[in-house]
Amino acid sequence: MKKLLLLLLTFTILIGCAKDDEFLEPITNEEIPQSLQIKELIGIKLENTIVTDRVAMNVKLPLDGKYRIKIRHGINNELISQEMIDAEEGDNLLRVYVASLDKSGYMIQLTDEFHNILGNQSFVVN
Amino acid sequence: MKKILLLLVSVMFTLSSYGQSSIDYSPVNTVTQVGDTLIMKFQYFKVDGNDLTLGQLDFEYNNKLLSYISHESQAPTGASFARNNWTGYKYVPKADSDEDDMDVQYIYWRDEAGNNSYEAGADWSVERITIQSASALENGQEFVKYSFKIKDKFNSGYSDYSDIIKVNWANYQESDGTQIQTTRSKDGQDLSGIEGGNAGAFVINLKTANSTKTDYSYTIKNGAGESVATGTFDESGQASVTGLENDITYTAEANLAEDVDYLDEVVTVSDLALVFAEAIGAGSGPSGGSTTFDYFIQDIMGDVVGDNNGVDFQDSYEILAYLQGVDSSNTNLITQDGQTEDYSGIESTYGAVANDVVTFVKSFTPTDGTTNAIDLAHGLRGDVNFSHSWTPSVESGGKSTSARQSSARYSKTQSEDANIDLISEINDEGQVVFSINSDVEGMVGSQFNIVYDPNVLSLENVIFDTGNTMTNFSNIVQNGIVRVGSFNQELNSTVKEGTPYKLIFTPLETIDNTSGLISFRVKEGVKADGTKINFIIQ
Repeated sequence: MKKLLLLLLTFTILIGCAKDDEFLEPITNEEIPQSLQIKELIGIKLENTIVTDRVAMNVKLPLDGKYRIKIRHGINNELISQEMIDAEEGDNLLRVYVASLDKSGYMIQLTDEFHNILGNQSFVVN
Repeated sequence: MKKILLLLVSVMFTLSSYGQSSIDYSPVNTVTQVGDTLIMKFQYFKVDGNDLTLGQLDFEYNNKLLSYISHESQAPTGASFARNNWTGYKYVPKADSDEDDMDVQYIYWRDEAGNNSYEAGADWSVERITIQSASALENGQEFVKYSFKIKDKFNSGYSDYSDIIKVNWANYQESDGTQIQTTRSKDGQDLSGIEGGNAGAFVINLKTANSTKTDYSYTIKNGAGESVATGTFDESGQASVTGLENDITYTAEANLAEDVDYLDEVVTVSDLALVFAEAIGAGSGPSGGSTTFDYFIQDIMGDVVGDNNGVDFQDSYEILAYLQGVDSSNTNLITQDGQTEDYSGIESTYGAVANDVVTFVKSFTPTDGTTNAIDLAHGLRGDVNFSHSWTPSVESGGKSTSARQSSARYSKTQSEDANIDLISEINDEGQVVFSINSDVEGMVGSQFNIVYDPNVLSLENVIFDTGNTMTNFSNIVQNGIVRVGSFNQELNSTVKEGTPYKLIFTPLETIDNTSGLISFRVKEGVKADGTKINFIIQ
């Protein structure tokens, strides 16, 4: 019984220590800087949260296609900038240009062509 | 044995899942009097949470009881720090959730709440602090210190100083972006034992539709016309003045700074439509006649030529020329970049008509125990739809419906929302195309102030497809801001649906996408009956 318990406990610990992505299809792109890597299959991530002038952005997508990248005001959610991209499945390294935006708090949002939200990140133009 | 094993696994799971950090906030000093400076610190405690490299906290304070003085970053050397603030908003916590659970509230704001995360609340101001560091912050690291002046609760609408500051949410992240569970140290900050107030300080409450109250200044003069007090309003639109004597009559006026960056958003195509309608239908001044305005003060605001002859076609064409970017060779009084023409007066009589003259009474007399505050209303020339001006409340300032002989009612009070799509993309030729797509029917005018990064984009062309009878305009207001729109002066033709405007930009450097390069400020339309259309972009 003790052996069984020990075996079970060891197995439990091993499972607990294993990285999640060992159970997923590996999609790691070695060219993606660590600061832009997205663990999930879909998402949007900026290299920094406090931004001046411009910042690198990763947009990770499930399929090739058209997507919208929206910038919303950080307090009233008003849409103030929007672009349509034609992007590929997986990681897409892009940029956000903030030099002409007012210094304020914002939310950057990834949606599909039909406005379904796929990811959000808050950021600040300083 | 199985139970023990299950318990062991459960404990391990619990320990690994529920480690959390905290956001603490508390006063640094003791305050006892109205007018004292309260210093608040906002501090990170690691507790049993993971290493934090990004800390973001959002809190609100009662701006009727506290006036912001300053803030001081406590970020460690090498870390980035940013502060944002907005007045007139109050956080709406996630329903049926623990309001102390800061990461739950943050994720609610980020992913779930959409337009519902903050509600309008004139008594509240929201502050947001962000600190980002390459290395983990130390346990006990302070984020920021704030200094607030304690205001008198007399006439504030509040009976005590409870919950004057509340942290709404906190976004604590590890270096890989993993969210750290976070709690707050208290529901809200209370102050007790505050004494004083209502003992000589005179309060001026600014009345304006403009949300940025700190851009306004006040001047108080004595009977000889000498200035006895000047200053600026706080974020809530209040100013506390000392040194005034009881039973002495003074005058007060308010002025908007001429260097603020939104003056070219005050007078728009909606004002133009109202002035054109008035010129077509009336032009007879305060006496009424076939006027289309709602208030007599609009006759003053719309007289942008300044001939004191009410509103006529000269005024409407002057505003049209201004929007088109055409030099009319006239000296006009239109509120615009670098130029304001202010009107202010005591709110209870602001815009009243006496002997056929619109008045702006400025005098007041402080009286011990009865009159220790005034409401001071402010308006701007050209702003006939009151987008940045106070709407008169005095009865004699309103034009009665019976005074209108026009069958149409042109009113600043009418507005409606309509969806449009504004979007930028890179075309096959490598140009950046910004399209304004609209299915809105019945617009006799529309206007868009588009902001772009002139260091990255060069505006090459504006393509209009608005129909054959519209007067179109596009002009560079300032480097990086272009005003685009259309107007039909006869008010009988409308902007064509589809893609009425397309802006073509040439990139000045190699770009792969356009996020943030083009944004929109003014975006509005107007119908023939004067209804303003607020464009909503999904």
